[in-house]
Amino acid sequence: MSDDELEAELRRAIELFDPVPSHLLQIAVEAYTLRTLDAELAELVFDSLSGPSRVRGGRQPRVLTFQGAGLTVDLEITVTAAGGRVVGQLMPSRRLEVEVLGGRPVTLMADDLGRFVYDDVPAGPFSLRCRLGDATVVTEWITV
Amino acid sequence: MDRDSIGILFRAAVDDDDTAAWKSLVEGLSPLVWSVVRAHGLRDADAQEVYQTTWFRLAQNLTRIREPDKVGAWLASTARNECVKVIRAARRVSPSDDGEVFDRVADDRTPEQALIDSEDSARERERARAAWHAFQELGESCQRLLRLLTASPPFSYQEVSATLGIAVGSVGPIRQRCLRRLRVLLGGRGFR
Repeated sequence: MSDDELEAELRRAIELFDPVPSHLLQIAVEAYTLRTLDAELAELVFDSLSGPSRVRGGRQPRVLTFQGAGLTVDLEITVTAAGGRVVGQLMPSRRLEVEVLGGRPVTLMADDLGRFVYDDVPAGPFSLRCRLGDATVVTEWITV
Repeated sequence: MDRDSIGILFRAAVDDDDTAAWKSLVEGLSPLVWSVVRAHGLRDADAQEVYQTTWFRLAQNLTRIREPDKVGAWLASTARNECVKVIRAARRVSPSDDGEVFDRVADDRTPEQALIDSEDSARERERARAAWHAFQELGESCQRLLRLLTASPPFSYQEVSATLGIAVGSVGPIRQRCLRRLRVLLGGRGFR
């Protein structure tokens, strides 16, 4: 048996014994219908988990910045055994509804200074959506 | 799934709001995303989260992708980046304590289930099972490499090099070595 044949056999074995779980396929299919049409994307422009200068082994919170459509969203995510906690800051700072998309959808309220807190964040994909004037802004999805 | 079909399905999902096209895309390219995630040695919960984030990102970026026929590469690189972040977050990385994987077949029916259910293919099933167990006895680095090389579509040596951080020139020799070990392990189980 050639290397290519052995590899083909392994491919079949992996497909058979470690398939993509069907409930995941379903979630990926649904991602299409859940997408926000006409939303402006606030892109992830900074993530403390990216880049070469990683800080090892600390319990420091993960810091992220999203930017788009005139909105900047700073997030600080702390993950403990009990779950995640997200502390956010909108700029320009203003009182806004912030919708959490993902495992446990919930609507938060940013205070007059643009600050908001989201506790008991479940593990999994996570994105925020808010309305700024006429525009709907969504942050890129991240894995909490 | 070839690039042309990927491009066609992708355009239909973007331009025509075609849910069926999206579904086909998900079915066609999910194994690729799964291979990347597994190649990073993520345990089940992490693997599932990265898989989901990757697809949510694609859905969100549909109108921003310039080269529809390269959406496979886009997915692979998005999944890779997310894997690296999960690993760096150093929350829950453990490469091979994944008992669940062994028994997945029982409750996750796939098209391949037909093969399992068929009595005629008992021999093939035994062989595939032996290959799967032999694969799991390989070292972690071999498992990661072979995950990418058996992905559908398979990774080029260039992409393997970028994903696993090994020199392009080493990919071929390491592949040969890993397959040789796999062959020995299979032989030990009475298959050749």
